[in-house]
Amino acid sequence: MQEYKKIVIEKDQIVPTAERMKKDGRALLMIHAFINNENQMDVSWDYAVDPAVESYHVIGETEFPSIGEIYDTAATWPERELNELFGITFEGLDVSQRLFLPEDMLETQGKGQIMVMPLAELRKKNIKEEV
Amino acid sequence: MSYIVPVGPYHPALEEPIHAKLYTEGEMIKDAEVFVGYNHRGIEKLATERNAIQTLVLVERVCGICSHSHAFTYAMCVEGINQIEVPKRGQYIRVITAELERLHSHMLWMGIACHIIGHDSMFMHIWDVRELVMSLLERLSGNRVNYAMVTIGGARRDISDELRKDIISDCDKLLESLNRMVEIVLTDKTIAMRTKGVGVLPTADAIRMGAVGPHARASGVDIDVRRDSPYSSYDDFDFDVPVCDSCDVFARVVVRALECVESIKIIKQALENLPEGPINNGNKLVKIKEGQMVARHEAPRGQLSHMVVGANKFENHRVSIHVPSFKNTPTVPFMLRGNTVADAGLIIASIDPCFSCLDR
Repeated sequence: MQEYKKIVIEKDQIVPTAERMKKDGRALLMIHAFINNENQMDVSWDYAVDPAVESYHVIGETEFPSIGEIYDTAATWPERELNELFGITFEGLDVSQRLFLPEDMLETQGKGQIMVMPLAELRKKNIKEEV
Repeated sequence: MSYIVPVGPYHPALEEPIHAKLYTEGEMIKDAEVFVGYNHRGIEKLATERNAIQTLVLVERVCGICSHSHAFTYAMCVEGINQIEVPKRGQYIRVITAELERLHSHMLWMGIACHIIGHDSMFMHIWDVRELVMSLLERLSGNRVNYAMVTIGGARRDISDELRKDIISDCDKLLESLNRMVEIVLTDKTIAMRTKGVGVLPTADAIRMGAVGPHARASGVDIDVRRDSPYSSYDDFDFDVPVCDSCDVFARVVVRALECVESIKIIKQALENLPEGPINNGNKLVKIKEGQMVARHEAPRGQLSHMVVGANKFENHRVSIHVPSFKNTPTVPFMLRGNTVADAGLIIASIDPCFSCLDR
């Protein structure tokens, strides 16, 4: 079974952690997000520290510094995805173009709501708007 | 004369939907942009309404080519959260299926690459050999795609002794054909002329942009999850990780051809030493305990990771899927620069893109 280590950090440690990982030659696996049971945003930066995965979590925040300057597109694409699906903002990130969602969803419904709103509510909202 | 040449999202030179804007000066590409998101199906969102068994079925539909990889990785996440130990025989069966999947995926890609290059006889030969792999997958699972071989805590179908012997014997036939294929790939003039020095991604840039899988290994980056973070008994097998440092499309063809040979080595070892015992823990529906897990698997196109969050319910609280094309697609504009428009289709195809995976 692969090893997974969860480490909770503060927002101001995101960039120094990314710099340290980059210096050590560690790959950024992914930036994930979800709404936890206390209705708080839980965002995690996962690094491959072989053979383990080290996952650095920041809980209860929705605005973060971008680590695009450190990890290039390996960071900016996940950041753009989280911006579209969760409405999370990353300082300095260019979000002028869409990534996954269709243009009409960005302008009207959908942006920042897809993963936040429960599926049943999202369906009701879509049906109402279609009518 | 400067032009902006749009390619795709639906174009005869493309395998799958991606839109590329090529900024050209005459025939030369000066800069490029890529746009994805033509296949977004909200699979991660749908997974929040599904239990673990239903999610296995759902995540297999993320991609038709590496479907087993998704079910395999998702199952590892749930097993990690619930601390479920997979029986050794189940682990070996998962590995055998994963390596057969890699074989058919690489052969599919090599066939398409040869077709784009203009070497259609090689394309037909490779796909003819690939049929043998597809037949094995069909005998193993009952399906040519979406094998449904994984369940939480093991494998869903066993391998009979008769089938085990047949696969070993077919592996020998495959190896013979593959060795011939590798020889052609390494020496054929047409392949060399169309691929050498085309779509170069230097090692430093591959690392900077986080490229993964055969695409990274063809740029001299020595990474492979099966070796670097072993899972499902991969550390029981002896295999090499082919790495090539010419960083061009040719290197991508060579790495994938050599990886096919390594996959056969793994399959044969797994079948010759297939442990006795159960294949799973009873195929029961489990409640996903409170917790979180990230699991990684070396899918045919590179490192695939799934993150699952459980909340002590049957349904997932969150499933996040991170596919290899997520890391490899952003390298495309870089590789296109300085090449001709005629090579654009080949360069885009050279990462073995899967936009069905990427868009989810």
